Amino acid sequence: MANVYLITGCTSDVGTALVRRILKQGDIVIAQGRGDLDKLAPLCAEFPGCIHTYDVDLSSAEQVDIFIKLIGEKHPLPTHIVHLPALPVVNAKFKNFDEARFMLDMNVQVMSIVKICKAFLPKMAKARCGRVLFIQTSYTIGCPPKNTAAYVMAKSCIGGLVKSLAVEYAQYGITVNCVAPCMMETHFLADTPDLIVQASAADNPMGRNARVEDVVPAMAFLLSEEARFITGVTLPITGGSAIE
Amino acid sequence: MEMQEIFNTVQDIFRDNFDDDELVITRETSSDDIEDWDSLEQINLLTAMEKAFGLKFKLEDVRGLKNVGELLDLIARLKG
Repeated sequence: MANVYLITGCTSDVGTALVRRILKQGDIVIAQGRGDLDKLAPLCAEFPGCIHTYDVDLSSAEQVDIFIKLIGEKHPLPTHIVHLPALPVVNAKFKNFDEARFMLDMNVQVMSIVKICKAFLPKMAKARCGRVLFIQTSYTIGCPPKNTAAYVMAKSCIGGLVKSLAVEYAQYGITVNCVAPCMMETHFLADTPDLIVQASAADNPMGRNARVEDVVPAMAFLLSEEARFITGVTLPITGGSAIE
Repeated sequence: MEMQEIFNTVQDIFRDNFDDDELVITRETSSDDIEDWDSLEQINLLTAMEKAFGLKFKLEDVRGLKNVGELLDLIARLKG
């Protein structure tokens, strides 16, 4: 049976690597990005006709509504939903955080997927199968680093959403999980000072930060048919730097 | 760059980072003297200094710093 992957934040390094890992003949990908759809051009060339790209600002409720409507009109019901987007981490003391930044993180990371899940999960439940996968962060395991309040708050909300959806939809055979990598060396870190990246690697028991190729196979597994009885979990991918 | 100029900038960064406008540092000040000065705050201090002085620290250069004096000397050396 062909799969229909709805992947938000698909233009990320993880998103494109995940598509390459999981896409089989007949599958399609509904791929969301924002202002960077050119990053999907190589994938579109590799998988002609399979990747359907959408430029959507997930902080805008109106744009998310239109996105959902277009998916309903133009594509089969998603069988897999993968939610990857996040704003670059702001390293600032709590007192210096702009309150609007909290709302922006919440809208992009949480409220967008609440809308998407509300639109598609009830239909996926009728189909009696489906996978939902989020990317969280090891910052939510144990003690988070200081000065990352907006990011950690939004990611923690995702953790709560995952557990809530998992128990509600388990009876329909839908699994809802997340992976929680430690600092991962991708374009996402472009604005993070090198010293922070280097210190994170040096402090990791395996002596390095996570890589895309460490995370994507775990995601592929949680999205697979074989993972049918695993739901509501947060899988740390940390080299031992954060252990639940 | 004059050492006093470096010191003044570093002092401002410490005051801002530790939310204490009256904090006075000396060359002998170390993490033992400021309660909140942990490894993460150290990184935050250093990244603020990278920005203020327009330089890049290497992790191996900053991991062994014992006090503010060694930090000032490192900045002075990097600023040439």
